[in-house]
Amino acid sequence: MTDPLALDPVLAPEERTPVPSREGVTPDAWVERFEAHVAAGHKVEASDPMPDEYRTAVLRFVEMHANSELMGVLPEREWLMRAPTLRRKLALTAKVQDEVGHAQLLYRIAEDLGKSREAMFDDLIDGRTKFHNVFHYPTRSWADVGIIAWLVDAAAIVAQQALRDSSYGPYARTMRKICWEESVHIMHGRDVVLTLVTGTPSQRAAVQDALDRWWGPLMQMHGPRSPREKDRDLHWRIKAKTSEELRQEFLTIYVPRLLELGLVIPDPALRFDEASALWQYTEPDWDELRTVVTNHGPMSQARLDFRRLAREETRWVRESILAAPRPAPRVA
Amino acid sequence: MTPTPVPTPTPASATGLPVDALDALLRSMADDEFVIGFSDSEWTGIAPILEEDIAMSSLSQDELGHAAALYGLLAELLGGDADADALAYDREPDQYRHARLLDHGRGDWAMTIARRYLYETADAVRLAALTGGSWAPLTGLVGKMVREERYHAMHIGAWLERLAAARGEPRDRLETALAAVAPDAATVFAALEGEADLVQAGILAAPMAELAERWQAAISPTLSRLGLRIPSSTAASASRGRTDHGEPFAWLWSEFTMVRRSDPGAAW
Repeated sequence: MTDPLALDPVLAPEERTPVPSREGVTPDAWVERFEAHVAAGHKVEASDPMPDEYRTAVLRFVEMHANSELMGVLPEREWLMRAPTLRRKLALTAKVQDEVGHAQLLYRIAEDLGKSREAMFDDLIDGRTKFHNVFHYPTRSWADVGIIAWLVDAAAIVAQQALRDSSYGPYARTMRKICWEESVHIMHGRDVVLTLVTGTPSQRAAVQDALDRWWGPLMQMHGPRSPREKDRDLHWRIKAKTSEELRQEFLTIYVPRLLELGLVIPDPALRFDEASALWQYTEPDWDELRTVVTNHGPMSQARLDFRRLAREETRWVRESILAAPRPAPRVA
Repeated sequence: MTPTPVPTPTPASATGLPVDALDALLRSMADDEFVIGFSDSEWTGIAPILEEDIAMSSLSQDELGHAAALYGLLAELLGGDADADALAYDREPDQYRHARLLDHGRGDWAMTIARRYLYETADAVRLAALTGGSWAPLTGLVGKMVREERYHAMHIGAWLERLAAARGEPRDRLETALAAVAPDAATVFAALEGEADLVQAGILAAPMAELAERWQAAISPTLSRLGLRIPSSTAASASRGRTDHGEPFAWLWSEFTMVRRSDPGAAW
């Protein structure tokens, strides 16, 4: 599970460009210098001074990512007990475990930025923070497990690869490990899909049905187009690419792969426009996206309820293990 | 552990191996690891603490890997059409031979810890009795399993101590869980058909009843120190120790066979 790249040490002070000093400059001038520092592609470490706006923006971004990993466990977890072969069972369990591991790594980054894990869980299950749209939908068949692992993870990795260049050093390093694991998930998902499309007619039909249902959410996943200059996360170089750049990249890689398997992409308007070198597609349903990410999606409340229940049922363990001082062992 | 290819056994008939008894032994061990692996994998994503979630998932993946290797060995021993997946998945619920100890449902975290503690300690004694046995394909696999199970023992031992040492709810829950599962603990050592042949052939070091005594002796110091009751070395349900599985397994079986049953004979 460990990617050696993720273990890269934080660069020693003499090996990296330090965040500009606050001494002898006005607060506004310092923020300008800090902006120039990240704009030049230099990194910020957890112990560096940083403007409140930057800290808040990184925290919000990483927390949403962590929430998505944690909630993203649930749709696939519903099929964990139903994996139909020993190999699939091991692969799916390991994949879901990876997502839990990603949540843990990301929550640790967010914790360092000043918000406790419990506070983040509270905000998540009380609906004050969000998680990605794709995890608000039901998983109806084993084919969904393949489509999620292949295409949802693929759409995610397109975004996540760009995050390896994030200005926030701990996040950038963690994304290298996460991308490495996500690429294994994609292979697992593709293998599940490939087995089904080359299987019985009902297996093949299940894959097409899954693709029909997941295509809309996949096209919405990166969000509506927004002007580069207005995006604060791009400004701080927390992320590197716009929503539309990510969606185009996803289509460029995965449309040919889907067609290669004889699957029909449920968008008659989808085509590559040679002149603009861009994919044209039916405008995604942005109302649906807004409805879903504000926890009004088909499975939003059920998933949050499930998370709430699991957290409640295990509270006694955390309270006994994390809170209480350890008594000395008894003597017989 | 990922399933690793096991050495191909010499055809059973040629070597005078006690094939029926080996079948019973491998099936019981594989079913034990399969059922506890499946049951505990259910914590993936919802365990009490993220760090523990990852640990418990690794443990269940290890058990499932052991199950895959044991089913693979059994398939080769039997030499028929059934592969490891068919052995693992394509039986009726009453044909599974795991210990009744594993038939209690996932329950709360204390139940998981209690069941795992009893099973892991029993499994360690069973593996020790198979170490250095005369049938190389099995001893090779046992060697790999022992290396992983050592970490499982450390993990579960730490949890048992934590819950036992914490006054109030954790200890109460642990005691309740132990009271529910301890009467079935010794079913891991339910007599196997033909086990005398396994002892005779030098595959198994001692009869199951004797292993049960060794297991009880092995866990008694820890349980005494923690003020917990020591389970009997004879199971209350000894005669049906590996049969007659009940509701929780009926649910588990219906879950893990659901996809396969939806399109029988298909490749997955």
